Amino acid sequence: MTSLGLAWRTARRYRARTLLAVAGVAIIGALLFDMLLLSRGLLASFADLLDSEGFDVRVIASEGLPAMRVPIPGSADLADRIRGMPSVRDVALIRMERARVRRGADRPRVVTLVGRTQSGVGPWTVVRGASLSYGPVGSARASGERDSASLPSERGDCPVVIGRNLATAFALEPGSSLDVTATPAGIASALPSVACRVVGLVDFGFAGVDEYAVATTMDAFEAIVAEPSHGEADLILVASRAESGGGAAAARAIAGLRPDLRVYSNEDVVAQFNRNGFAYFRQISFVLSSLTMSFAFLLVATLLTVSINQRLGEIAALRALGIGRRRIAAMLLWESALLVGAGALLALPLGGVLALLLDHILRQMPGLPERLHFFVFEPRALVIHVVLFVITAAAAAAYPVWLTSRLPIAATLRREVVG
Amino acid sequence: MPASLVVEARGVSRVFPMSAGPVTALRDVTLHVAAGEYVAIAGPSGCGKSTLLHLVGCVDTPSSGSILFEHRDVAALSEAARSRIRLTRIGFVFQRFFLLPMLTAAENIELPQAEAGVAPAARRARTRALLEYVELVDRADHLPSQLSGGEMQRIAIARALANNPVLLVADEPTGELDETTGEHIADLFDRVHADGTAILVVTHNPTLAIRASRRLAMKSGSLVA
Repeated sequence: MTSLGLAWRTARRYRARTLLAVAGVAIIGALLFDMLLLSRGLLASFADLLDSEGFDVRVIASEGLPAMRVPIPGSADLADRIRGMPSVRDVALIRMERARVRRGADRPRVVTLVGRTQSGVGPWTVVRGASLSYGPVGSARASGERDSASLPSERGDCPVVIGRNLATAFALEPGSSLDVTATPAGIASALPSVACRVVGLVDFGFAGVDEYAVATTMDAFEAIVAEPSHGEADLILVASRAESGGGAAAARAIAGLRPDLRVYSNEDVVAQFNRNGFAYFRQISFVLSSLTMSFAFLLVATLLTVSINQRLGEIAALRALGIGRRRIAAMLLWESALLVGAGALLALPLGGVLALLLDHILRQMPGLPERLHFFVFEPRALVIHVVLFVITAAAAAAYPVWLTSRLPIAATLRREVVG
Repeated sequence: MPASLVVEARGVSRVFPMSAGPVTALRDVTLHVAAGEYVAIAGPSGCGKSTLLHLVGCVDTPSSGSILFEHRDVAALSEAARSRIRLTRIGFVFQRFFLLPMLTAAENIELPQAEAGVAPAARRARTRALLEYVELVDRADHLPSQLSGGEMQRIAIARALANNPVLLVADEPTGELDETTGEHIADLFDRVHADGTAILVVTHNPTLAIRASRRLAMKSGSLVA
């Protein structure tokens, strides 16, 4: 009979204690697992959102986040120079404006209107239909060039891709039409509506659940806002070549071109958010994780200690029979490992379900991107979970092991008989 | 010391420090048990019988005097060495049996053999032989909770004999049993003795004590006869 076998038999023998310990550890473990998922979940989800856009470098005019947009002077020229860099695969100029869309007699909706020059990728993911078309395939043009010699309104050409929530609100499908009217902030305007045609339904990564967005070509955008861009953009998105060092290398090279601009790789953006907004989650998670581990330790240590105190006579007799301290210590360690291990294992599905529930609740907060999650599974969370519980099992067994190793055999046997 | 002596207590005393003042449980006791000898110690409760048994059985060390087990001073040995002696040279039988409740009768008998490093096949054969010896083969797979008091004590005796000890020490082995069952245990001790194992038994039971080849009495921590 090995020490593990003895521990297993003991766990089966004292079923109530075993069930209590396993259930307790499972609940505590579920909380711990969720804390681990939460500690980096938002950051991982944010990084995933950035990466899913297809671009990994952002160029803006001023210090701050990409959301703080100020037009970049000379964007078109800069885009050409960036495109010519060997580490760059794709470049898109982006402009944004507030707008209102209307379809028939339905109530109009306020949207974020995005204008984008020709690009092979997003920043969105096509769900149904097509992405924006810029004429014949292979017609290489400078990013700052107009998409056509004539204005879209003149040609009746305003292709748009729309978010799924707007499609649902207006019952739109690829091929449907809608009217778009620019409503620049702080300006009382009476710009005419432009009739646009839906070419695709897309997911805008950073659009909130309750936020509508519409994207179109830069030509159509200028027609809608009735204002030529003069080669200026709010944001330049760059896709780097992985074989040339990726986003970080491209960002360094671009920053060298225009020191007056701010250039961020996706890693930079994530790091900046990690330092600022997400640090709170990490700290809260650390504190709560430490508390939950303390509870797990106390629970198992208490149950083991109580159990040992009830079996002191039995253990003293084993020692009198010549069963070594090591075997008894190993048996207790295995007992602890079985209780903690079973609880920690059960904690994973329990924590997973709890994380889904909590994530669903948290994502109800207004303004959050639809695809942003608070609880994200990463293999490292599982590794930390296992490591912490191994430490807890060992720590919880430490006192009972110490207790039995110092057990005075004769005195204990005498007490047992007298008792 | 003659070579045939298994254990010898030379002028041993045992004092227990207590908060209310030290308590002397044994005073200058001298005792020897020869190989194959059957010694019984009787005496009133609290006279120091169990304390002497624990010293002789190497689970405790004297405050003064010395215990020589097979010519080796027990006090000079490490705990690991004493544990090894208990495992391979001494068999313990307790008043309350102390069988492991989660193991079957056979597994309880196998446990000391496993600790001593006996190979599994040899363990099983020895366990089977011991179960036959105590006439409980049909109870091999029963848990202690499924055995009667007498059966538990017979299994405990089989466990004590598992590693072929030279000395069997028993502390009130019939203390928890009725008279008839006590007789059966006494019979079993006779067989163990007849097979050449030395026995030192501490008992209140005159039926058991009378079987011993040498009977001693204790009073107030001293041997008186």
